Parts: sequence; C-alpha cells; structure tokens
Amino acid sequence: MQQPPVVHFEAASTLAVVMSSHEPLLFLSDDLRIIAASASFCRAFEIDPASVTGKRLGELGSGEWAMPSLNVLLTATATGAARIDAYEIDLKRPLKNTRNLVVNARKLEDGDPDHIRLLLAITDVTEMRAESRLKDDLVREKAILLQEVQHRVANSLQIIASVLMQSARRVQSEEVRGHLQDARHRIMSIAALQKQLSTSGGGSVELRAYFTQLCQSLGASMIADPERLSIQINVDDSNVPADISVSLGLIVTELVINALKHAFPDERSGKIAIDYQSSGKDWTLSITDNGIGMPPGDDAPKAGLGTGIVEALVKNLQGEISLTTADPGTIVTIRHRETSGSGTKVSSAM
Amino acid sequence: MNNGKPVVLIVEDSAIIRIGAVELVLAAGYEALEASDADEAIRILEMRNDIDLVFTDVQMPGTMDGIKLSHYIRDRWPPVKLIIASGATILEESMLPSGSRFFSKPYDDRTITDAMARLLASDDTQTTVV
Repeated sequence: MQQPPVVHFEAASTLAVVMSSHEPLLFLSDDLRIIAASASFCRAFEIDPASVTGKRLGELGSGEWAMPSLNVLLTATATGAARIDAYEIDLKRPLKNTRNLVVNARKLEDGDPDHIRLLLAITDVTEMRAESRLKDDLVREKAILLQEVQHRVANSLQIIASVLMQSARRVQSEEVRGHLQDARHRIMSIAALQKQLSTSGGGSVELRAYFTQLCQSLGASMIADPERLSIQINVDDSNVPADISVSLGLIVTELVINALKHAFPDERSGKIAIDYQSSGKDWTLSITDNGIGMPPGDDAPKAGLGTGIVEALVKNLQGEISLTTADPGTIVTIRHRETSGSGTKVSSAM
Repeated sequence: MNNGKPVVLIVEDSAIIRIGAVELVLAAGYEALEASDADEAIRILEMRNDIDLVFTDVQMPGTMDGIKLSHYIRDRWPPVKLIIASGATILEESMLPSGSRFFSKPYDDRTITDAMARLLASDDTQTTVV
C-alpha cells in the first residue's frame, strides 16, 4: 500500500530548521504526508521520530491525528482556499488525557505550484486552558462565598434586631424600652451600610444612597406621621471607604434619633436635613432640624450614650463638632480638615 | 380570615427570627402561623383555607427555597398575598411572582407590617390576582 516517497528533495537547511524548532512543527506535502517533524513534536505527542517521515498525518501514532476537521482545513490550506489561524482542536488519544491544541498552518510559497508544502505549528494549550478555567472557577467561587457571607451577615443582623425588638416589647420600663430601640436603630444603621457595601462591591460606599437608606429605615420605625416629620438628604457624589462610612452613618443615626426624640415635642411638625459636602479630603457633615432648639444651661439634658458615641466617632474621624442655634432649631456640624496640608484650608462653611 | 382576623403564615428556618416575625404579626393584630421550611408551609396551606398572606424567607433548607415556594403558592393558591425577605440585597423583582413584595434583611418591623396592611387591604377589591 505504501506509495513511493515524495520525489522532491528538500533543502537540508529547511529540514534542519523544522527538526530543531522549539515549537512542535510538521512539514507536510500537499497530500498530508510528513516530510519532517520537529523533535519537539515527537516529544510532546510521544511519537517515535524514526517512524515519522513519509507517513500520512492520519497514520501517526495510533491514528489520533486523523481528525476530519483538521484534514479538511489542511487540504483547503494546500489549495489556497483557506488559512488556518489559531484553530482549536482536541487531540484525543486512547488511555491518555485529551490535549487542547491550537494549530496554525501555512502554505509554503516558493514559486513552484507543483510542489506544495505545508507548515503546521501546534501549540499545546491544555495547561493554559486548565489554568484559566481554574481562575474562572476561583473567581466564581469567590463571588459565591462573598454572597454567602453577606447573607449570613444580613441574617445575623436580623437575629440581633429581632431579639432587641422582642426585648423592647416585653420590658415594662419606658426608659429601658427606649434604650433597646436605640440599640436596634444602631444595628439597622450598620445593616444599611452592609447593604450598600454588598451592592457596591469595591469596599467603598456611595454616601448619598447609604444615608438615604439609613434615613428611610429610621423614618420607617420612628416617624409615625410622615406628613408631620420628614428627613431630607443633601449629599454630594462622595464615595467613602467602608470604615469611615460606618462612623458617619452611626453619627447620622444618633443625631437623627436625638432630633426626632427631642426637637419636636407635642406633635410639633418639622424637618431634619442631612447635608454632606466634600472637597478633596476635607468634608463637612451637618444635621439640621427646625425644632424647638437646645434648652440652654442647666435645662440641657445630660449627655447620654448617643452623645458619647458621637463624640468618640468624631474624634476617631479627626473631626470637630460644633453646635449652633438655627432659630428655630439646631445645627450640628462636623468638619474634617486635613492638617497635613500647607496651613489651614478655608472651605465653604455652611 | 379567622374570626375576622387576617391569617399570616410565617416561613422562616431561623427560630429566633421566626419568633420575632410571629410577634410582629401578632402586634399588627393578625393571627400568626409558623413553618420552618417550604414543605411545612405547603402542608399548612393544604390543611387550612383561611390563610391570607405568606411571609417567607428565601434561603431555607428543604426541597424549595422561598422564591420557588412563592411561585408555587401563587400558582396553587392565587389569592394568597406574598411577602418575601432575604439576606440577599440584590434580588430581581422579575424572579418573584407579580404582586408580591420583597424586602432585604434585616427588615424593619414597621416596614413589614405596613406592607402587610397594604396587601391585605387590597384584598377587599378582589382585583389583585394578575
């Protein structure tokens, strides 16, 4: 059955170049017989170098290279009808793992139309593909894990909020109930941040969305009549890192709770405004109400846990807090100025 | 309705959250039933024909999660109102039966009772089944 070998002689240098190619390379005649195979090809695909020359591609090894699609493409390349550019095929061998290959084929143009030869370069991308699959899997796994953690956090916060609410319903003392409800508001404040973080994904929080959600949550549980009391948000486009956001959120929570509790007695109506503006690293947060204002001197209520929390957080944020009378009402302003800059920056005060 | 009181079925696998939800429903003046997973919820729905609203968690052990349960209920007991709560913040509304309400956890009690009141009030008009 063996046909006589190809009668054309190839330049020894051409054969040497093919044989020594680092990339697995086959040098083929137009009827897909092997003129030369690189040592790297024989090594990579476990083919005896002595058995190669003169064989048809489909006869190599155990016939695993007899792939119809490759055959068609190579034939088309030989006639000039097609070019194989980075064509991906799977090499299936008995008792061995399938290899993912990328093949490139070129017709050798040397001006002799009767003497057509093909160069077939084969790159084994099995490991590369496996790595990228693994990477995709890891990325997907990480997203699932993160989601799972967020679920758990949300559920845990729900459990804490539920327990506090159940306790608040049971206690007799109005004062204790108030404290328990405040504790629940603080939990909900952190939960609102958690929600923002889980949607933003970058570890920073869009402050306007966060404060809006925070105040919706506070309003939902503390404002019985939205016609009478409302909370307005006026926040610039700041995106703030999570740890700073949580402090800002807790400050807003305390001050809004405080205003809702004390600024509007006797069914007095009014509004609370939350304003946050930043410029570079400087920022100003203010909570304004148009309620009855702070009672002066000795009539002032003694500082509670809320005040302690606000003062500690403001200090943590390296801010300064000031309290002014708005007539009617109260403005609490917290300013943060970067001290590292040259001198004191003057910014647009409220 | 049972003796003029709307009946709410709570489906939640976490016991503490479930107790909280029951109290929330009772405080709103409704009758509360509880199930710890979808299968138990379906058994209760099959036994009673007076359930007006199901308030369900999403992530639960068992054959169905809260989303599948809500679709099952909408198909089999179309008049029953649905409120779904989940720790997942992003939940596409399109995944839920039409007319149902979604809230992310932790939810605020008042928000849930307001939603319940609104859904139960819409029952009177008899036009909610889409």
